[in-house]
Amino acid sequence: MSEEQDRELRKTGAGLMEYSPEGIMPFGPVHPSLKEPEYFSLLLEGEKIVDVQARIGYVHRGIERAGQDNTWIKNIYLFERVCGICSFAHSIAYSQAVEALSGFVVPKRGRYIRTIIAELERIHSHLLWLGLVGHWTGFDTLFMWIWKDRERVLDLIEAITGNRVHKSYSTLGGVRRDLPDGIAESMKKEMEFIQKRVDYYSELVRTEQTIVVRTRGVGRLSQDAARRLCPVGPLLRSTGISRDVRVEDPYAAYDEIVPEVKTSNEGDIASLLKLRLDEVADSCRMILEAMAKLPEGGYKIAFPRVVPRGDSVFHVEAPRGELFYFVRSAGSIKPSRVKIRTPTMANILAATEMLKGHTLADVPVVLTGMDPCFGCMDRLSVVEAGSGREWMMNGEQLRTFGIEYYSGKG
Amino acid sequence: MSQAADSFSGRFRRWARKRSIWVFHVNAASCNGCDIEILAALTPRYDAERFGVELVPSPRHADVLLVTGTVNAQMKDRLRDVYEQIPEPKHVVAIGACALGGGVMKGCYNVGHGIDKVIPVDLYIPGCPPRPEALLFGIIKLVTGEPPDRREE
Amino acid sequence: MDSQAISEIAAKTGGQAFINGRIATITVKPEMLRDACAMVSSIPGLYHLSTITGIDIGEEIELQYHFWKEREFVSVRTMVGKQSPQLRTVSDVLPSAVLYEAEVHDMLGVLFQGNALMGRKLLLPDNYPKDAPPPLRKEANPEEIRRLMGLE
Repeated sequence: MSEEQDRELRKTGAGLMEYSPEGIMPFGPVHPSLKEPEYFSLLLEGEKIVDVQARIGYVHRGIERAGQDNTWIKNIYLFERVCGICSFAHSIAYSQAVEALSGFVVPKRGRYIRTIIAELERIHSHLLWLGLVGHWTGFDTLFMWIWKDRERVLDLIEAITGNRVHKSYSTLGGVRRDLPDGIAESMKKEMEFIQKRVDYYSELVRTEQTIVVRTRGVGRLSQDAARRLCPVGPLLRSTGISRDVRVEDPYAAYDEIVPEVKTSNEGDIASLLKLRLDEVADSCRMILEAMAKLPEGGYKIAFPRVVPRGDSVFHVEAPRGELFYFVRSAGSIKPSRVKIRTPTMANILAATEMLKGHTLADVPVVLTGMDPCFGCMDRLSVVEAGSGREWMMNGEQLRTFGIEYYSGKG
Repeated sequence: MSQAADSFSGRFRRWARKRSIWVFHVNAASCNGCDIEILAALTPRYDAERFGVELVPSPRHADVLLVTGTVNAQMKDRLRDVYEQIPEPKHVVAIGACALGGGVMKGCYNVGHGIDKVIPVDLYIPGCPPRPEALLFGIIKLVTGEPPDRREE
Repeated sequence: MDSQAISEIAAKTGGQAFINGRIATITVKPEMLRDACAMVSSIPGLYHLSTITGIDIGEEIELQYHFWKEREFVSVRTMVGKQSPQLRTVSDVLPSAVLYEAEVHDMLGVLFQGNALMGRKLLLPDNYPKDAPPPLRKEANPEEIRRLMGLE
């Protein structure tokens, strides 16, 4: 490759991902979700980040290959363990891809129940994220409050599906069980509670200086960069592009329970906070609407062991954005290929773009802001331009550094 | 038991350790499910801090190492490094089906079958993922040698 | 579905268009792939590249570039020989492809000329055995790879 081409690639953001020996860490920055562990090595000029390099793959397990050796139904339990936070999104994306291939239509009640659980999962994921932003900005009270509220959502999920995290609730042809008796009342109670808390948190993140100073104007992503780098989910919507799989390509019962797509033109972390809180409020509304409209009838159909030959492409809106499944069947009891593209994979390039030009103190907030889960921030290797000096900072030191840096600035 | 361990300072140290269990958490190729349950165990509903359990950011400060996930090829050596950095006395807790023996990932080309093939393990907490109550139960049992409800207080 | 635009692209690139419900597939020769992707992504609203799927189909490796807009998918499909699979990168026209190409490179050993990440590992460990085939090829044996990496 010529130098000119190389420069061109760097300009488009394609050169960001290379890593050099001085950036290798003794212990990888483990990202908790499956394929998206990230290791960022930052090139600094004083305080300012001039370049970011990332190395992913620390949590690579080889699930796509394993998916070829399992039967269709067994794969549900495998693929929902791709990610512990959006596990239901994975299982419905896979189930619906296979259902589309077979031409079976899930009963309406089953689709409604899927929508309800998917939205509950969105609430729990967004609240989890918001708590972590609170933690990384040094506002631990917010972290504890939100995680306490989140437990009530998990209680609901447990009451319906039987588990808190890996629900194993969706199956080929519907959902495994009907909703339990009396869930409507507790759902109503909890959703009203969450809505009240969300109003409070919205006011809080708008006015509380601890949050405002650390998030406004931080991690800015321009609309042009977003079009170029194709991020997904709230990250894309925060740049003003209105794109939501639930609205544009409705699945489950989203054609009847229509979400309201929120966008913002700021593209910074503060707008992401507002956007995700608005989405939580909208999810509460959608759950109540779905409970009110919940049709009678079956929630599941019998599904054959063999899936006809063909290709199927399916995507759903996971809490972090578009989750993509490609399934190919050779007409046997096993898939011949399953390809998964998780949302964070699409967002990494945008994250490296967001970090550039900011100070070291902003790194934890920006990296949390794109919602990659939290583990990736536990270790960062910092390379100082000029001296070539390298030192390690773990997440806690970096957090303290950030808090001290901003406490001097009021 | 050596004489030093039976001295007053030895007994004091043992008493103090049981009441301030500092844990360090390593995600060795986990799906994140166990990790969020560890965090949930530290937040107000379950409140592990009432037993003196605290999550610390460096292995050098830790008494107990919590490991989640099937150990993959990238994480194998790194996990061993972390283990060696923890000062004695140290304990290792394997959390979740993957850490115990591979779980659903068993047979994948990039995963090891259980962390006890890499580092010695003191306690296994099964579940996919284990509930926060199970985590608390396990850790208290690890340091006291007894289930929490039978502990003499 | 804008079937006219799809068949126009197929005609211009010497490929075949096939529309099945909401999925349109354009099959092209490897050397025309970059042009086809550039044309598809210039259809209004269709700039979003979802991912690149690589499939080992025996003698050849099949690559599908999935674009998405509203209720439709457009997949640009091509086949490369398995012996020394290589083709030109699309990351200069579609910057977001750089990671997906690197993933296919890792998993199936396809070389994308001009991609900045070639020759490195993206998802696989650095000590992935050199003499073992890439993991998603049909001939790869998970047990054997685990043994070579010392995971037993």
